[in-house]
Amino acid sequence: MRGLTLALMLLASPALAQVTADTANPLAGNADAIEAGHALFGKMNCAGCHAYDLTGGMGPDLTDASWQYGGKPGEVYRTIADGTPRGMPAWKDKMTVDEIWQVVAYIQSKKQ
Amino acid sequence: MRRILLVATLMSGVAIPALSADDPKSDAAGKSFTGATANLAPGDAPGQWTRQSRDYANTRYSPLTQINKGNVGRLRVAWSFSDGQMYGHEGAPLVVGDTMYLVTPFPNIAYALDLSKPGAPIKWVFQPNPDPRAIGEACCDKVLRGWAYADGKLIYNLLDANTVAVDAATGKEVWRVKLDDVTNGTTLTQSAFVVGDKVYVGSSGGELGTNGWFQALDVKDGHTVWKAFTNGPDSGMLIGPGFKPFYSWMVGKDLGVSTWPGDMWKQGASAPWGFVSYDPDRNEVYYGTSNPGPRTPSQRPGLNLWSSALFARDATTGAAKWAYQFTPHDEWDYDGINENVLIDIPWKGGHRKVLVHFNRNGFAYTIDRTNGEVLVAKPFGHQNWAKEVDLKTGMPVVNDGAHPIVEKKVENICPPDIGVKNWNPSAFSPRTGLLYAGIFNTCMDLTNHIVKYIPGSPYDGMEMVRHPGPGGNWGEFIAWDPVQGKRVWSLKEDMMTWSGVVVTGSDLVFYGTLDGWFRAVDARSGKVLWSQKLGSAIMSQPIAYLGPDKREYIAVYTGVGGGAGVNRRVNGFPPGGNTLYVFSVDGAGIGAGLTQLKTDAKMPAPVSVPPAAAHN
Repeated sequence: MRGLTLALMLLASPALAQVTADTANPLAGNADAIEAGHALFGKMNCAGCHAYDLTGGMGPDLTDASWQYGGKPGEVYRTIADGTPRGMPAWKDKMTVDEIWQVVAYIQSKKQ
Repeated sequence: MRRILLVATLMSGVAIPALSADDPKSDAAGKSFTGATANLAPGDAPGQWTRQSRDYANTRYSPLTQINKGNVGRLRVAWSFSDGQMYGHEGAPLVVGDTMYLVTPFPNIAYALDLSKPGAPIKWVFQPNPDPRAIGEACCDKVLRGWAYADGKLIYNLLDANTVAVDAATGKEVWRVKLDDVTNGTTLTQSAFVVGDKVYVGSSGGELGTNGWFQALDVKDGHTVWKAFTNGPDSGMLIGPGFKPFYSWMVGKDLGVSTWPGDMWKQGASAPWGFVSYDPDRNEVYYGTSNPGPRTPSQRPGLNLWSSALFARDATTGAAKWAYQFTPHDEWDYDGINENVLIDIPWKGGHRKVLVHFNRNGFAYTIDRTNGEVLVAKPFGHQNWAKEVDLKTGMPVVNDGAHPIVEKKVENICPPDIGVKNWNPSAFSPRTGLLYAGIFNTCMDLTNHIVKYIPGSPYDGMEMVRHPGPGGNWGEFIAWDPVQGKRVWSLKEDMMTWSGVVVTGSDLVFYGTLDGWFRAVDARSGKVLWSQKLGSAIMSQPIAYLGPDKREYIAVYTGVGGGAGVNRRVNGFPPGGNTLYVFSVDGAGIGAGLTQLKTDAKMPAPVSVPPAAAHN
């Protein structure tokens, strides 16, 4: 039921397709979303670059205060969706809007 | 009187002549520990360093003797050069004639420095501008492990899966060939290796689900002369009737397909990203292959040939002669890419042509390079995954507790993915008959995860916490007897020893540490004779050369990065760097003096170094 409410909430927000740097994460702090984001972080191979503990390796540390492309939730969303010119792949064709927000929620939950 | 003359010569700054530089056996007092010898072809002039390994056999032995046990304590910086790039620096400078050639990590800028003028000024700079998307596809920093000189050209690999040749006199591009699509995860970090009219290149991307390949390009124009995949059907691997592995379990048709589930060989990696050796008498090249993909072994039951293996191929045609898989069904990421040092050893009353290979899995192999028979396989550092290597079958005997389990932590498997030694090459002295290597003392707590293949992203699945092995030291430096399979001496180091090695005709061994200490060691006793703190980590390859002033110099790049990031949370881990240091006795030579010295450069360095170059 809680999942259904969440899905309806996301569907009712057409503006989410145009996420900007200042867009807030509608799933921030949502325990189910964080858990789903955790699973996606492994399933979509995010952990292969950023490590299972998010402290980086092949790609940057996601737990520290240094954000090359901005650390606000909307900026992290855009980085995941669009990729970066320096090697982060674009995921908008492989993940849904709410899946990307779930991953952002998981990353937000791990910030030091 | 003779002594007075010598002193006068020293004081006037005139170079000391290199005594008996060509004869490795010139020191009557120094006996070989093993009787092992090497063919030092192509026999470059003693003061030159024209390929990463100095010779085809990969000995990294310099016959120079000016710097010796008596004066090594007086080594000082003669000059230095910073290239501004902040990724890990892993290559060796090349010295050809009066010119030194350097290539930076990504964006792979090449420099030619004039060694005949004060301060070694820039002769030319070449900026290839590789595709920056390569940054996100390179597993272990955006490095380059070396570059080659041949036919008046500097030839090297770009991170974006291109190989480029530059006119060594002018710095103008001669040719560039695209060898793969970097967005699928194939990068090039390997050191191009030239023999005759061919340049040998191997792919990187063992963690990206690539399909590894090794190819020979034409030195003149870069076109592919032959290409051999490392997995898949025999036809694509250039396996034919002349392929004769020594052990029966590696004999059969299309094993590069049938030892994998379904089509998984297509993402089976096995990328040959290490150094290449060449035997001119047999006209064969030798190189190793990386781990299989994905790194989670339960997803790919089978031997997974030809991952974590070694190939001997005809250098002209590419036809496979024999192969040997070090770690069948590799469960721990124990690549087989480490260097193969070609030597000849006394063996049971006769002689054998062998290669010596320090594998990531912790065993040092002495293998007959004419047929692939393993003569010696002994641990050279701490490992607990295997009881031994059975010399009858060539198979390791795996310990029960060493197998990884999906979604369950298995504690204290030694070594971890990075191995007991990694790509950083060892050296062999024909005077001592020993090999010298920087190694690791590490273990891991490993949790495996099931992964799926998504092109251009890691095909990995290993979650690790790495820690030092027994004794608490992360690193070590060893002298190794390749006939007996045992250590002769060793030095413990606090951090992982990622440095390459040069050993000289004066029985001096040079290597460096992650926290920036550059050392000279007595090759016979292991006694440290000199240490100098440098600006960043030494995880490159030192060399010895004679300048145009006939003076002996020792040169080494500094700059932390690469796999050394494993130690990044250890106290004392250094900041990044990018400086080449060049040493001479008393710092004398072209970079210092008592007058107002000036540079006479033909070009400025490029200024387009983006602030974000250190990250991705």
